[in-house]
Formats: sequence, C-alpha cells, structure tokens
Amino acid sequence: MENNIIIETLYPEFANLFGDLMNTGYLKKCIPDAVFADTHLFEEPAFVSQDVSMVFMGAMSEKQQELVVSALMPHKDRITELIDKGCIFLMTGNAMEIFGQYIENEDKSRIECLGLFDTYAKRYMFNRHNSYILGNFEDMKLLGFKSQFSHSYGNNTDCYFYKVTKGCGINPASDLEGIRRNNFYGTYTIGPFLISNPLFVKYLMSVMGIEHPKLAFEDTIMSAYNSRLKQFETFKPSH
Amino acid sequence: MKKTLRFRFALLIGKAAYRMGKLLKMNASHFPGRLAINICPDFLGRIDKPEKIVCVTGTNGKTTACNMILDVLKDCGYDVLNNRAGSNLNAGIATALLSNSTIGGKVRKKLALFEVDERSSKLIYPFIHPDFAVCTNLFRDSLQRNAHTEYIFNLISDHIPKDTHMILNADDAISAGLAPSNDRTYFSIARMDTDHEEDLNIINDARICPNCYHLLKYDYLRYHHIGHATCPNCGFTSPESDYSTLPDFSAKTLTVTHDGNTEVYPLITDSIFNTYNQITAIAVLRELGLSPDEIQKSFGMVNVLESRYSSAKAGNLEVITHLSKGFNPIACSCVFEFVSKQEGNKEVILMLGDIYGHSHSPEIVTWMYDADFEYLNQTDISHLIVCGERCEDYKLRLLLAGVPEEKISCVPDEKAAHEHLWLDKTEKVFILHQVYATSAAKIARDKIIESLH
Repeated sequence: MENNIIIETLYPEFANLFGDLMNTGYLKKCIPDAVFADTHLFEEPAFVSQDVSMVFMGAMSEKQQELVVSALMPHKDRITELIDKGCIFLMTGNAMEIFGQYIENEDKSRIECLGLFDTYAKRYMFNRHNSYILGNFEDMKLLGFKSQFSHSYGNNTDCYFYKVTKGCGINPASDLEGIRRNNFYGTYTIGPFLISNPLFVKYLMSVMGIEHPKLAFEDTIMSAYNSRLKQFETFKPSH
Repeated sequence: MKKTLRFRFALLIGKAAYRMGKLLKMNASHFPGRLAINICPDFLGRIDKPEKIVCVTGTNGKTTACNMILDVLKDCGYDVLNNRAGSNLNAGIATALLSNSTIGGKVRKKLALFEVDERSSKLIYPFIHPDFAVCTNLFRDSLQRNAHTEYIFNLISDHIPKDTHMILNADDAISAGLAPSNDRTYFSIARMDTDHEEDLNIINDARICPNCYHLLKYDYLRYHHIGHATCPNCGFTSPESDYSTLPDFSAKTLTVTHDGNTEVYPLITDSIFNTYNQITAIAVLRELGLSPDEIQKSFGMVNVLESRYSSAKAGNLEVITHLSKGFNPIACSCVFEFVSKQEGNKEVILMLGDIYGHSHSPEIVTWMYDADFEYLNQTDISHLIVCGERCEDYKLRLLLAGVPEEKISCVPDEKAAHEHLWLDKTEKVFILHQVYATSAAKIARDKIIESLH
C-alpha cells in the first residue's frame, strides 16, 4: 500500500517560512516507502497528471502568495476534482488563503484567489498577530501557533477545520479555525503542524489507507505532545 | 525642520530624564528618547544632527560590526556620537542625540554611528537621513517580530532616503538589492576552499530569483544563502564587489582588493561570520576616508566582544559556554556548525528554552525545525543533554536529525543538567544557551570545573 502513496510538496523553495517543510519531513520517517515529490514554481504540479495521496504547502510571503495564485489558477478544476475524490490537502499558515475568494490589501486592492471556499482574507501589514491555539477535531485535540499579518472572514460554519477552545479561529472574533472540505485541511497554524499533532498524523495515515499506522519516534513525539497539551490547557498569560 | 516650542519642551524633558537616569546610575539609553518622542513625535527630525551619519542594520552582526567601526574611529581620534550604550530603536537614537546636544538643540559632534533595528527603519531613516546606510545581511529571524525577509527588506528599502549611499553585502542575494536606485558600495568574500555548491542548510531564504522568481543557481554557497548566485533564466547575478576580500585564518590576515590595490589587514576573528563583520567595518571606514594604514593599526587594538563565548579548564577538560540565540534559526545553526567543527570528544548541553519570553503564550517551538540540529549528529559528540520545559521537543528534533536515542538525555531542570554529564573520555563540554540562560550556563560551567578539582 505504502508504495502507492505519493505526497507532493508545492513550492518548497519558498513556502517554508516557519519550519513547515518538516511536515513532510516527518511523514518521510513515518511512511518511508511513500514517494515524495517537490514541485517548484513554473513546473507543472504532479497532481495535475497523477492521483496523488496528499498535497502539502506551507506559509509564504505576501508576494509569493500572488505568484502561487497565478501558478495554481490554471489547475483550479483539477484541484476541485481531487478534493471531491478525497485527496488530502494540508495547507498551513497563509497558504490556505489562496483557496478562498480573494486577499484584500490595506489599500483595498484585491488579489483574486482560486475561489474554492467562501472565505476571503484581509492583510494588516502593521499589525502582526501572534497567538496560540487549541481546539477539537473529531476525537482529538489539535494545537499550534499562529504568526500572521492577515485574517480570513466570511462564512466557514459549514467548512471549518476544527473548533477552537483556546485562542481564535480564522479571525480574532471566530472560534472556528481553518477551512475543510472532505480531506482538504487549511489552517493558519504555522510550521510543523503534523509534528505538533501526532494524532492527526495517524489520522491522515489512516485516510491514506495505512491499516495500522505507526508513528516515527512514537514514544517521544507523544510525550512531547502530551506535555505541550498540558501546557496549552493550563497556560495563563502573565500580563 | 523648525525647532518648535513643543520640540524644545521635549528636548528639555528628555535631557532632564537623561540626567536623572545618570544620577540614579541607570542605563538611560532608551527612556529619555522615548519621553522626548512621546512629547514631540517628529523629535528625531527636528533635533540637529552631526554632519555625517552612518547607520548599520541587518539581521546578524550589526552590533559586532558597529563596535568594530567605533573602536577603530575612536582609536584614530574621532569623537563619535553613537548608541552603543543600549537601544537601537528610534528612542535609543533620540537619547544619543539629545544627550549630545546643547539645551538649544545644537549637536556637539560631527560624526554619528548608529546601530539600527531593522524593524524601526520607517521611524528612523526618514528623520535622520543617513549619509551611509550599511546592511550586514538579511535572514529570517524571530518569526513573531520579523515575519520574513521580504517584509524586512521592504521596511528598509521603502524608507531609505534616495540620496543615502548604501554599503551592502554582495554575497547576500537579498540585502544586496536594497534601495536599488541608490548609489552603493559592495563588499564580499571571494570564493574559499570551504565553500560548497549544494545547500547544506535547511534554510536558504534566497532560493528564487528576485527578478523573475525562477530557481537560482549558486556558483558557491558559504552558509545558508550567503554565496554567489546567478539566475539561469534572466541572467541576474550577485553584484561585483568594490571590496573583495580573502581571509587567511592560519596567517591571521585579511587581504582586501579595492580600486585595483591590495590592502592587508590583521584578521581579528576565527569565524567566517565575524570576518563578514570585519569587512563590513573596513568598507565603512574606507568610505569614510580613513586610510588603510590607520585602519590596520587600529584593528590591532580591537577585540571581538567575547561575552557570547567563555571557556574554563580543569585538567584535560575544557568547558565552553556559547550564546545560541534561540528563536533565531540561523544563529543557532551557525553555533551548531561551530561545535561540530571543534576537535575532541564532546558532550553538549542545550539550554535553548526561553523561560522568560513566553508570558503571552506557551513557548513557540517552530523555529527549531528551521535550525540545523543535524550538525550535532557527529560521532565525536558522545552525549547531548536537552533541558527545560520543552526538553521532549528538543529530543524529538535531535532524533529527527539522526542522533541515536541512547546519546540523548532529557533533563527538565536546567540547573541540574551538568549532573547528568558522562565525562567519560570527554575533552570538551559545550553549554549552548539562550540569552536569558547566560548566568545559568556560567554557573553550570563553574560547577563542572569545581566538581573536577
């Protein structure tokens, strides 16, 4: 089964701002027989011609977001088709904004995006948002950090990733984090989201068809997760 | 700009606060300037400035480069207004200026050298209008404050006055492009035997061409994105250097080619990172009009600040503490590489947790996946001790770097870390510590030494 798994990373040369590439780096340790493909800007993504198991993209700069919108726009229908087929998409940080309606700059100019979700983003370049987040997804608790210039708005009540119990969702007034349809998961959580959430890695491995998913360095990663979870659940800002 | 009543009041209050701070023996490098700016927001624009102003910014090395420039200038008899005493924000510069001004707002010195925090560019450059703006390099830094290099690049580039002369690092494909329409001088280090053609680091912040966004090709890389880049698609290339240098670490010399002439300076460092800081200083000093002779003589007196590094010995064991700025993956990677290159059997204690820095949020750990912990996976590093609340995360990171589990000890209590050393055929113990753990690291060092006496 693992030999048939193809995991594609989009634009690793820049969509990697906060240790994001270790998401697929960790999957390499967990699923060593899977095929891992990197697609660079100006190359045709592997998912265009192949039924890949998973597509990953990490956080990037604002200019790079615009480049990625241009690069993916011609493949919008294929992406929709893959989402409907159940292909896993994991988009971390501001990568998820690319799949919404548009991104609005402070001068009200807009970058039209793929429009696969009803949400839209607004940039606040002089008001960086830093926070931590804890929430519930199915029977597991997901956690992570946010560090971003933009927030998303619009209705995600029918397509959110997980419900927040600490921190905020797609914007400071929301308790619904990210966007989801089938196995498309978009979250503002930055960096090594999978390493921070090993139970979600197991979940994704099951979605990929792996019968008895085994995590790499399972004892250590679970111990780190449990310790972090305890801290997130009990943390109180000192001022 | 006119000296308004509001400005004069701000100056008076700022000077009074400065005097008071001095009387109370406080490091009044920030507060007086902050007070003055709060009263008069364009205070920096209204106060008299020295005839010549040099500003030094950049992700890494700006403090060291500034210190070198200042030491040489002072040794050569220049009286330099500067903000070495503390803050590199707009308030720090305001403090430096008001403390060197008369009550009427007239500045007392002719030359100023300011270290400038990159993020404060828009609050500083338009007001003080530097003659020279120097950038050592631009890398990704603390993600919460600095976001990414594009953000910092734009902050600097958008606020540098058009007639400021830039002094830039030709080996940095990012910062070399700052303020593209300004006059500029470049410095660089020529190709060295130790350079490589492939990425050896996790991070390279300049993998794509700044003009056409195609993948860059590096003729050689030194560390991260520092090297010589070309774009096979559009022809972009790293700029030609005005001060091309070549260090000789064994002869302790730095040969500089400038305007067709060769100048030889004493090399005052063992590391490539501080060599960049030294050539930054040389380029600035030469552009200010100092002669090679003056600079050569004065460099003989300059010491690189050693507070980041300390060493103590007991018998055959050397215990070394080294600052490893947590949350700055480049700085950590450089220190890890340095440790990997040291000879002898080594044990390493990592005190990288930030016990003071996460009052608003649990400690952020994403940065460690950008740092090259892989350098610590060496056969001559027999044992690694990871400390602090997040020690399991550090252990996981080391496991992902390929370090065998039996080599790793997890010790939540930093103060007890040294008790877990094996000291079996160990020749060097490295204690790599966060800024806030400097004293904890030195205490651990002394306890190790004490236990062996």
